Amino acid sequence: MALKKESYEALEDVVGPEYISQDPAIQETYNQVWGNKLVFGEKWSTRPAAVLLPGSTEEVQAIVRVCNRYKISFKPFSSGFEIMSTALASENAIILDLRRMNKILEIDVKNMHAVVEPYVSIYRLQLELAKHGLFIGAVSAGPEAGVIASHCCHFGSGNTQVFAGGLGRNVLGCEWVLPTGEILRMGSAEAGNGWYSADGPGFSLRGVLRGHAGANGGHGVITKCSAKLYPWYGPPEWQLVGTPPAVKRLEKVLDGFKAFVPTFATRDDAWDALREVGQAEIGFSVMATIGLLEMGEGNDELWEVIQKINPEEAQLAARSLLVVLGANTTREMEYRERCFRKIVDKWHGQLLPPLNDPKYLAHMFSLMPWSLGTIREVFRPCTDFFVSPCTDGTEDMIKNQNTAAVKGLMPYVQKGAIMQPGPAAYHLPYENYSVGSHIETVFLWDPYNDNSLQGVNEWIGETLDPHGKFAKFGVPLLGGGLQIEPVSHVVQNWGPVYDNYHVWLAKIKEALDPDNLGDWSAYVPPVFP
Amino acid sequence: MAGQDELVKIVGKNSVLDSPDILEEYSRDLSFVPRVRPRCVVKPGNAGEVQEIVKWANRTLTSLVPVSSGPPHFRGDTIPGMGGTVIVDLSRMKKIIRIDPKNRVAMVEPGVTFAELQPELEKAGLSAYMPLCPRSSKSVIGSMLERDPITMPSHHWDCIDPLLCGEIIFGTGDKLRSGEAAGPDTIEEQWKIGKAQMTPFGLGQFDESRLVSGAQGTIGIITWATLKCRSSSKLNRTFFIPSETIEPLIDLSYQLIRIRLGDYCFIVNDLNLASLFAQNPEEIKTLRDALPRWILVVSFEGYGELPEEKVLYQEADFRDMIVRTGQLKPMDMVSGVTAEDVSVLLSRPSDEPYWKLRYKGGCHDTFFLTTLDKTPGFIEVMSTLSRSCKYPSEDIGVYIQPVVQGTSCHCEFDVYYDPANPTEGDRTRRLVTEGGEELAKMGGFFSRPYGQWAKIAYSRATETTIVQRKMKRIFDPNNILNPGKLCF
Amino acid sequence: MALEDYEHDSLRCTRCSYCKWIPWESMRHPDFMQGCPSVGRYDWHAYAAGGKFNMALSLMKGRIDYTDAFLDAVYRCQMDGSCDVSCKSVQDIEPLQSMQELRIKCVQDGQGNPAHMLTVEGLKKEDNMMQRLKADRGKWAEGLPVKDLTKEKAKVVYHAGCKYAFDEELWPTVRGGLTLLMKAGIDVGIMGRDEACCGGRAYEMGYLGELIKYAEHNKETFKTAGVETLVTPCSDGYQTFKVLYDKIGQKLDIEVLHITEYIHRLIKEGKIKLTKKVPLTVTYHDPCHLGRLAEPWIHWKGKEVKVLGQMIVHDPPKKYRRGANGVYDIPRDILRSIPGLKLVEMYRIRESAWCCGAGGGVKDAYPDFAIWTGAERLKEAKAVGAKAIVSTCPWCTRNFMDTVKETAEKIEVYDIIELVQKAI
Repeated sequence: MALKKESYEALEDVVGPEYISQDPAIQETYNQVWGNKLVFGEKWSTRPAAVLLPGSTEEVQAIVRVCNRYKISFKPFSSGFEIMSTALASENAIILDLRRMNKILEIDVKNMHAVVEPYVSIYRLQLELAKHGLFIGAVSAGPEAGVIASHCCHFGSGNTQVFAGGLGRNVLGCEWVLPTGEILRMGSAEAGNGWYSADGPGFSLRGVLRGHAGANGGHGVITKCSAKLYPWYGPPEWQLVGTPPAVKRLEKVLDGFKAFVPTFATRDDAWDALREVGQAEIGFSVMATIGLLEMGEGNDELWEVIQKINPEEAQLAARSLLVVLGANTTREMEYRERCFRKIVDKWHGQLLPPLNDPKYLAHMFSLMPWSLGTIREVFRPCTDFFVSPCTDGTEDMIKNQNTAAVKGLMPYVQKGAIMQPGPAAYHLPYENYSVGSHIETVFLWDPYNDNSLQGVNEWIGETLDPHGKFAKFGVPLLGGGLQIEPVSHVVQNWGPVYDNYHVWLAKIKEALDPDNLGDWSAYVPPVFP
Repeated sequence: MAGQDELVKIVGKNSVLDSPDILEEYSRDLSFVPRVRPRCVVKPGNAGEVQEIVKWANRTLTSLVPVSSGPPHFRGDTIPGMGGTVIVDLSRMKKIIRIDPKNRVAMVEPGVTFAELQPELEKAGLSAYMPLCPRSSKSVIGSMLERDPITMPSHHWDCIDPLLCGEIIFGTGDKLRSGEAAGPDTIEEQWKIGKAQMTPFGLGQFDESRLVSGAQGTIGIITWATLKCRSSSKLNRTFFIPSETIEPLIDLSYQLIRIRLGDYCFIVNDLNLASLFAQNPEEIKTLRDALPRWILVVSFEGYGELPEEKVLYQEADFRDMIVRTGQLKPMDMVSGVTAEDVSVLLSRPSDEPYWKLRYKGGCHDTFFLTTLDKTPGFIEVMSTLSRSCKYPSEDIGVYIQPVVQGTSCHCEFDVYYDPANPTEGDRTRRLVTEGGEELAKMGGFFSRPYGQWAKIAYSRATETTIVQRKMKRIFDPNNILNPGKLCF
Repeated sequence: MALEDYEHDSLRCTRCSYCKWIPWESMRHPDFMQGCPSVGRYDWHAYAAGGKFNMALSLMKGRIDYTDAFLDAVYRCQMDGSCDVSCKSVQDIEPLQSMQELRIKCVQDGQGNPAHMLTVEGLKKEDNMMQRLKADRGKWAEGLPVKDLTKEKAKVVYHAGCKYAFDEELWPTVRGGLTLLMKAGIDVGIMGRDEACCGGRAYEMGYLGELIKYAEHNKETFKTAGVETLVTPCSDGYQTFKVLYDKIGQKLDIEVLHITEYIHRLIKEGKIKLTKKVPLTVTYHDPCHLGRLAEPWIHWKGKEVKVLGQMIVHDPPKKYRRGANGVYDIPRDILRSIPGLKLVEMYRIRESAWCCGAGGGVKDAYPDFAIWTGAERLKEAKAVGAKAIVSTCPWCTRNFMDTVKETAEKIEVYDIIELVQKAI
């Protein structure tokens, strides 16, 4: 759908002709992303009427004003790497590619926060922060994910969340262009006092910014974020070695850290140990191992390795953990390690030599703080991955959920719809387990294979039933975070089972965006269909 | 009162109070917020009654003020903003619903105080995260909803900690359980599958807990909440680090919290430490005069897998750190006050009389958020302001509490005064009013804008005001919950 | 191959945007993370390899047709292959090959770039890419006592390449390379005026026919000349002779060496002795065509199979060219063996090197973009404390020299041959 000439020109007046396009070739590069085939039945989602590349908050504000004037829907994104980033609920919609807004505005080393623009990636910020002995915890969707996307706009768990939290709890401030065109700076930043608190005066508008999931542009554009930082135990720089790049790794676990892969007799023992290691307040990263094989440079190389391994070895991941300890001093590391070993012994775990070989640990460590391996692990094998069901809560509840999930998925594995050996658990505690743990049931599949597509559609259908057997564990698809609301209606269908939260969310949307201009593909409409 | 019969039907005759004495108690507090008498006080016994009261209030357009802590109150948020208000006193709701030692979670009703909860937690090997020696009548839920800072900054991940989930009755009368507690099924059924209502992340794309925290009861009333607890300490080592100037203590605090070394960590001045420890004005004065000007209180708590080893290594690392400062020394005792004594004080609510009332009988806190490095500037300004208001600066208590793992800092000035002395009262009022304005101009962020600070804070938060009012219209469209507070 | 053969790859592009960056595992400095000059300069996703996968797929499915924006995104690209290395660090797909087929299709459909068309017209007429007269091709070697392979026999042919042949400012370097060989006693000759283009650059522009034509011609020429080894100081030419000819089934029967490989051999054999000090701090720029693009071609024929339910593998196993086997160490070894020379490395090196800016027809069609790209590289060289940037390809050298002239990025520019000469 083309924009009216007048509205196109008004938008062009804001960004200049170099930074707006409605050329079909350009449009078609903003509607193709993994997951589209599952959600939309083909590689393409709705083509945007135009795409813009704004360069500043002021330009974003001016664009939003034009949208209000001409009733054009808009969707901003930074890396644009999820279905929620490019999906549009309306054809009369524009995409704001925030790539040009890429400044690190401030790093307050003493008070441990960094203020960034939307296109600043997690890894770029990590590289800067390490020089100051600081670290940012963020979603582990890959090093290219945006800080603002991670903190303000999107669901997602991070490998280091036992230490560095997640899901909106690290937002110390943000600048937000509301759908009506006003600019809101939350908390201390509004009066120009600095970017150290997003909360108040009075109740915190972080309550409107996001919850478990983010709005992905559904209620405006986040143009700055102040992210809480954490100490970094490692060196100011590092270098991975190896060739080709797929097999690069650290030569050893970085100084300041130790890594371990304990294996237990049962999944339950492993996950009890996971809880206790979390509660021991010693971990930099504590997670259930999602896989133990090195991915190698390609699938053929990986297959060669897989054919040689003992089938029992393939099962070890389900009952092993990756534990990384970081420490400021030798004494602290000794204490942490003793605690860790005590817990492992208590749960009858072992540190099997191949999994605790220094080179192997260096490989596992390389993947952990910067999630360097994510894309390779979840996309390369089959084309796509998905996660369902997912939940947050106690370890006991998570065990129950996982048992049901694995049992539910096995028929799909057996008929070849999903890659063997089956689903993996991306499972890790938050904040020393003080707010529970998270689990995503990860499986790999091929959307261009009919058997796989059908199987996955059926499976997701099972988990989407608000009165089905998974309902008691939590809202599926990451609390609505990995779904397109106009297609899957998760919030609308699950709200009634969860104290009608959908009603409040729709009212918030209506209050902030009465003309429904912020694209609601990853949010809610003011009135549900 | 019109409609009072309906209230009686909801809560029973004995729980609707309207005697003049009682109404007088609820019409004022130790702040300078103008006195307004409520119409009556209702004391619901359960969430259903609370919900019915709120629905009734919507039908009759009666304003409500929820109160969970017992007196004395200090901040003006429990005083009606208008006439005809009904106080909803939740102190009857005193159930400690559940203590879960494995997940370190407790579930309580709003009337449960720290004094009531702490002993029960200790039986289960747990301890509450507390603000600095809360009064014995302080409600646990009330404290959390007010975003009172806890005294262990390394454990303070987010400003709403230790609050986890809760059951909210919004101003519309609708009920919503927050976070993973929202459903499905009843809480009891959730327990059966191993849930403990411990993950607080908001439902979908909003975070309901944050909307009721710091809200002074203007958005919803909480009828139960879960909170995170810590393992109780088997042993600890507590230290004072005294200094005549505050700057070295600030530097040391930064170092400690940055690497998460230690548990309790805060700075008080001589007067506040004296008030915490001593029992009467004379003792307080004597002790204040003997104490060093500034004291950093740090502890290393021994709990977990290796409690003794934890304390040992942390103390050793701490001593190395102190040596590097070149000037500071850790002490077990200052002027007769032992760190052990203070450690005991910190582990429970204040004894009676409440420590802030011991010196002069009254106290007005002025507090705001800033960053730790800016606190000396604010201390300087407060001192200058006190002189201009003819208020003796040595009678101001100072409490500096790093929060959210050191990323900001609660900066508190406790202005002690004799409520029976009008001159002192006037000077105090002037100091806290003019002082608030000056401190805000200097960059103090009144994130919890009680009383007159609301005007100061919201004049600098125009867009926040607009959005908060939009939210208010959603969750309390008839503005029946505590009207006149915040920007409402 | 044809564009349709990459439909599978286009479908599987996830939009991870790794193509825009050097491999994340290779990053060492927050200011030098980008890998793709096209998207780095022009920002639109279409300018990244992922965007071209999208455009190719949409074109194949009839959803779009050629437009100005389409063609601009296709041609404002150095075809340097950084995207390819990065993508293949996480995927088993071929962005560079797909982009190459896309260009070929554009040309076949009459959508060639106008500036390229001019260049290729000149190639057709005069057998060179410089729009110069064939008759002048041999002038660079005037006065050198070198065998003329149109009249005499030699074991080694020294192929100057179009750029060196016609860029007078670079003649000292191309003459220097030949002189080094002669002084080392190598039996070497040149084709002189009869030297023809390798066809590589035209191929990169989308002209498959020209590559085939020159491959056939040169193969025949070298056979007739009876040479056993081809050596060239031009990295573009090296990659064409060694890799592209093999790719199209015209693998040369002779040994193909880059000048650095030959010099390295001669140093090892003691036939070149580097004894004079060259006190200079330099950084080495990996030419794309000597580095990641020069990885030997891997022929594979087979099919895709599924194992473990849905995992995609191949029968027989398929080895992908992921950048590991380019010529990276030899030039560095040479530099390290020059007395007094200090070699400092930039942040984006080896298979992750940032392009000089000249490749893929960009120097012809978008000279300002070539300069912008070159300036980014010179910034990086200066950031690591180098006083000079050294490369070993005339396209790189020319573009760096032009960049120094036209921008504020001032630094000395050398070819390895020059430094070797200084050290003798």
